[in-house]
Amino acid sequence: MSSAQSENPLLEGLRLRRSADPCAIVVFGASGDLARRKIFPALYSLALRRLLPERVGIVGVARTEQTTAQWIAEMKQAIKEHARDELRADVWKDLSEGMRYVSTDFADAHGEDVVVEALRDLDEKRGTAGNRLYYLAVPPAAFETIVNELGQRRGTEGWTRLIVEKPFGHDQESAKRLNEILLAHFSESEIFRIDHYLGKETVQNMLALRFANGIFEPIWNRQFIDHVQITVAESMGIGGRAAFYEQAGVIRDVFQNHLLQLVALTAMEPPIDFTADSVRNEKVKVLKSLHTPGPKSVVRGQYGRGFVEGEEVRGYREEDGVATDSTTDTFIAAKLYVDNWRWADTPFYVRAGKRLARRETTIAIQFQRAPHPPFAEIAGDGLRPNVLLIHVQPDEGVSLAIGAKVPGAGMNIRTVHMDFLYGGAFRTGLPEAYERLILDAMLGDATLFTRADEVDEQWALVDSIVAAWKRDRPSFPNYEAGTWGPRAADDLIHRDGRSWRRH
Amino acid sequence: MSVVTQVERGLGELRLKRAEGTRTSVMTHVAWAPPQWEAAARKTLAGLEELHPSRTILLFPDPKRPDGIDVHVDLKCFTVEGTSHEVCSDVIELRLGGKRTRVPGSIVQPLLITDLPTFCRWRGLPPWGEPELEQLVDVCDRLVVDSSEWRGLPGAYEELAKHFDRIAVSDIAWGRAVGWRGRLAAEWPAIKKMRKLSVTGPKADALLLAGWLRSRLRKEVQLSHRASEQLEAVAVDGEAVPPPRGGPPNPSDLLSAELDQFGRDRIYEAAVKSL
Repeated sequence: MSSAQSENPLLEGLRLRRSADPCAIVVFGASGDLARRKIFPALYSLALRRLLPERVGIVGVARTEQTTAQWIAEMKQAIKEHARDELRADVWKDLSEGMRYVSTDFADAHGEDVVVEALRDLDEKRGTAGNRLYYLAVPPAAFETIVNELGQRRGTEGWTRLIVEKPFGHDQESAKRLNEILLAHFSESEIFRIDHYLGKETVQNMLALRFANGIFEPIWNRQFIDHVQITVAESMGIGGRAAFYEQAGVIRDVFQNHLLQLVALTAMEPPIDFTADSVRNEKVKVLKSLHTPGPKSVVRGQYGRGFVEGEEVRGYREEDGVATDSTTDTFIAAKLYVDNWRWADTPFYVRAGKRLARRETTIAIQFQRAPHPPFAEIAGDGLRPNVLLIHVQPDEGVSLAIGAKVPGAGMNIRTVHMDFLYGGAFRTGLPEAYERLILDAMLGDATLFTRADEVDEQWALVDSIVAAWKRDRPSFPNYEAGTWGPRAADDLIHRDGRSWRRH
Repeated sequence: MSVVTQVERGLGELRLKRAEGTRTSVMTHVAWAPPQWEAAARKTLAGLEELHPSRTILLFPDPKRPDGIDVHVDLKCFTVEGTSHEVCSDVIELRLGGKRTRVPGSIVQPLLITDLPTFCRWRGLPPWGEPELEQLVDVCDRLVVDSSEWRGLPGAYEELAKHFDRIAVSDIAWGRAVGWRGRLAAEWPAIKKMRKLSVTGPKADALLLAGWLRSRLRKEVQLSHRASEQLEAVAVDGEAVPPPRGGPPNPSDLLSAELDQFGRDRIYEAAVKSL
């Protein structure tokens, strides 16, 4: 807040929504899948809720040859198909009037001139005041040229911010190189590396759950928690992403970013406040504390044929665009340790995969068993440890498994769930992650974006795991589609006398 | 059978029929709606139930009816978007007749949900000093009024201000003007020198805007008011202030916004006291 604002007594107590400065949003990759499925539906939802600034313009940049009118029609259709709200003619009219399309090859410097021209036009006609939000939804190969061009042509008026989509590199070295390119032209506060998981309400609710409730934090440590299980499971295959997936595998697609971010949020210390740096400082401490798992603590897998939701599906090696002898991983399970005072010797069992039995992202905190339940002998199997289960998706919410007496004679104990269903208590409709993240970038709030040092630590861990994999040739496929992964993943946790949560 | 027993039994039977529905409440919402406000109260609640799942206790007082309490209970259930889960909230309608209209506190208290905040929406002008108001002020955490429903302004604000130390107060007329207050705040620092505020809109909204400016700027602000159903125009020293974006919010959204507030609103209190 500027000093002029802080002196303004009329602002005190004014519960106005956070509003962004006028700005032009430039989407590179504007005809791509991400733009159609996520970015433009999110922009429309923000416009509908009047969360976009009054003076806003959008420039779409892509290779596809088409006119602005054709592109606008395509985006309108995309919003109809993918937005969470009905298309309202008045909102769309207002938004689309400020939309321009530039068809260019990203490597073509002349194309940037056309973009600059479109931006000048928006400044003039829509009053976007020289403020720029660039959204880089492009393949990694186009990244360097675009960033250099943007850096060299950045204006002196207004602010400039960059949203950078994943994948952010393919190993630590390439990520370092990307950071160098970015930081040569932009400061860290201008760079917004997106991990859309952090924009999910339930992931943010993890912070609320831990730090707004006095009952959890005192027991959130090795003394009371037996272990943590984090699952990021997808029932879908790779769709049309074979080219990307063959290079990345699940370890780069999900483990390196979403999964490690969930570990960090679960294990981090309380930040001193909710500013971007305070939160990210605590997350990076966790990532630095992650012990590199040995080969016996990591299981990788690849799906073969099987049945998902009653439908027979192909194995990974039979997917279009995948090599018939591919050794790309579609499943990973690992036992991680956070080597610090709070978590020493408390395992974090994590797993992620494609074509698993169902789509589910959960964080399960399993507490220690009650030390001496007086009815242990008669209660039998019913006496299970308490589990706090955070459903990230679907069925967003939190449930606590507790033992309760079955009514009647005797002392039979059965596990029951106390459920908090997010959509039930707050019926405002959960915003899409991209809505929150795009709005935050416009506001300059980087709390829910990953910082360079976080990315660096995440890659360091992934590189060490991948290095070990290079020494052996796996026997793939090793799990059937529609199951919970290879048998070795069960062995990984059974060795410790534990088991994966029942689904 | 006592009122509480009738309510619990009725809700219990309904819950058995809808065994799959999860019960959810984030508050107890008490609404006091004399006969002339009943239709409006129902309409507002219909738009509110989905946003704030709560145990709603609708009190319909009518001293002319025979002494007694008629009980009607219902469950309002909604399917959670994108899931097959159903979430249900309790709706308790109590028709108070005769002397029972004077003792709502004792009727409501055993029906409140423990440990959740209780909001009381009072339709129309509260009967200052009367037991029905005093009792509900004592059992609720927040009193929600809409001073544009009142006659006798600005005098009634003086009576309202006497309750500020007893209960947090929300005024929907105040919430309705938040966009205009934002616009006026954007006129800083030029607005420091203002002398006259012109408002076309409900009298309550105009008075509250003037009171707000007087208390925040610590100076006398002259008010010129033209009556209108909606808050349509605001001018400072003859210069029109650009209107806020979007149309006027609907009554459900306004009440919903007030139900999200928990503490005292000192800025509102200061605005009221300066009238």
